[in-house]
Amino acid sequence: MMHGLAHDEARDALGALALDALDASERAAVLAHVADCGSCRDELSALRETAAKLTYVVEPVPMPDDQRDRVRARLLARAASEPKPKPIPAAPAQAHAPQLRILEPSHVPLNATPRDTPVPPPVVLRPTVVPLNAALVAAQRMEARARWMAAAAIVVAVGSVWALINTREERDEMRVQLQVASVEGRADGRVLDSLRAGITARERFIANLTGPQVAVVTLASGTPRAASARMFWDQSVNAWTFVAHNLPQPRNGRAYQLWLVTASTKISAGTFTPDGAGDAVVRANYALPKGDLAAVAVTDEPARGSPQPTTVPVLVGSTKGR
Amino acid sequence: MNPLSPDSPYPLSSAAAPSPRGDADRAPDDASLLRMMALGDEQAMGALYDRWHSLVHAIVLRMIRQRDAVEDVVEETFWQAWRQAGRYETARGSVQTWLLTMARSRALDRMRAMKRLREEPIEGEQGEVVVQQVADGDPGMDAEAAERRTFVLAALAELPEEQRAALELGYFGGLSQSEIAERTGLPLGTIKTRMRLAMQKLRGRLQVLREEVQ
Ligand SMILES: [Zn+2]
Repeated sequence: MMHGLAHDEARDALGALALDALDASERAAVLAHVADCGSCRDELSALRETAAKLTYVVEPVPMPDDQRDRVRARLLARAASEPKPKPIPAAPAQAHAPQLRILEPSHVPLNATPRDTPVPPPVVLRPTVVPLNAALVAAQRMEARARWMAAAAIVVAVGSVWALINTREERDEMRVQLQVASVEGRADGRVLDSLRAGITARERFIANLTGPQVAVVTLASGTPRAASARMFWDQSVNAWTFVAHNLPQPRNGRAYQLWLVTASTKISAGTFTPDGAGDAVVRANYALPKGDLAAVAVTDEPARGSPQPTTVPVLVGSTKGR
Repeated sequence: MNPLSPDSPYPLSSAAAPSPRGDADRAPDDASLLRMMALGDEQAMGALYDRWHSLVHAIVLRMIRQRDAVEDVVEETFWQAWRQAGRYETARGSVQTWLLTMARSRALDRMRAMKRLREEPIEGEQGEVVVQQVADGDPGMDAEAAERRTFVLAALAELPEEQRAALELGYFGGLSQSEIAERTGLPLGTIKTRMRLAMQKLRGRLQVLREEVQ
């Protein structure tokens, strides 16, 4: 049994590992070391990049026509036979009508239509965008601040992707304020309640991003500034928190729309526009069976939102193969 | 949610989908194709296949000679691209590299499986050097790709012959270091050293070659 491979020994084998040229037992031992060694990990990722560039030496060799067409036809047939996102089917499917709820404070189902009543126009969660990136709070602004924090629990646009850190700081700050206000007895009950609500909302936000049952879907894009996003799905409470970074501003009259994609439907989780720095956070509550999420996508839509996506996604993250 | 328009246009199932950036008459770039594939658009995979099959075929052919196996591996490569389209990140490199790296891995799997089954001995390409594969005026490559290729070939050409051979037998030959030692009759330690030196040198030379992301 090889164990505890020395750093030097492992490092010398990283080039061969990147070329996939290690024997199985040595490969396992080196990988075990790499798992615990940051410098070897960095080195390996650089060497893997180098190895990937070796593919540049290959020149195209056309396949024989019959072979090319055969493979293409098989691939498309395989893909077509897979369950996959499809346009929404007609009315009967409403039996499984998604129930998208505003997270806070109302908990009103937006789409809780009984089956036999006329179907309402499609509902799109259109949350308000509230700046979260506040400066230090002056005492006299405390009440107002505490009030918008409850709203911020629905959708917040943040000044940086480090929404979580901001949120932690703000929660801690509010805790201090709450203590000070209670001890000195100078704030009225409403203010204290608002502060408590703000703290609770923030704690929930933090839990939704870091809890033990949070599934994370990373979304990628091809935009020049390399927009990216993560969806945090807290499966214990069906809370969805979407954090996007580097999104270009949509054109006038347009907004981004967030979609939860399953095999049979695309569920709107709201429209949003990023702040000046290209960042946005969107939150929604929606109960989805664990295996049902196929992808999370963002499309460019009219500002009022669309019932179904009408453009190619600017961001998408799939759960396939996970 | 919108039962009133069952035929509501969802452009992901059409190859001519308008891009949100308004360049509708241009073919979608690779990253867009992958996003469409991630949402289940098989026509996007067809387009990706049309664009890249010759190159995927080339790398597989370089590693495997048996025609049926080559065909299978090309198919498995694009199938993997279909399944993992949503995991592709532009920040981590071009679609070309992503695809070719997968093609090479699938070819390696196949070589190893064949070796285990003794269906077919691995075809040794001892001493075959990448540089020998240079061909002039290839119409299938754009100028940028040709330039990258020349650059990598030049870096390989700077390696001492024996280092380059060791690297090639590992990377394209699918042989492990001890298999290379066995085949060449050289001590294992020698092969290890050659491979390590080759990779160090290449790493330095190729560092300037930034992955262009479309
Ligand atoms: Zn180490």
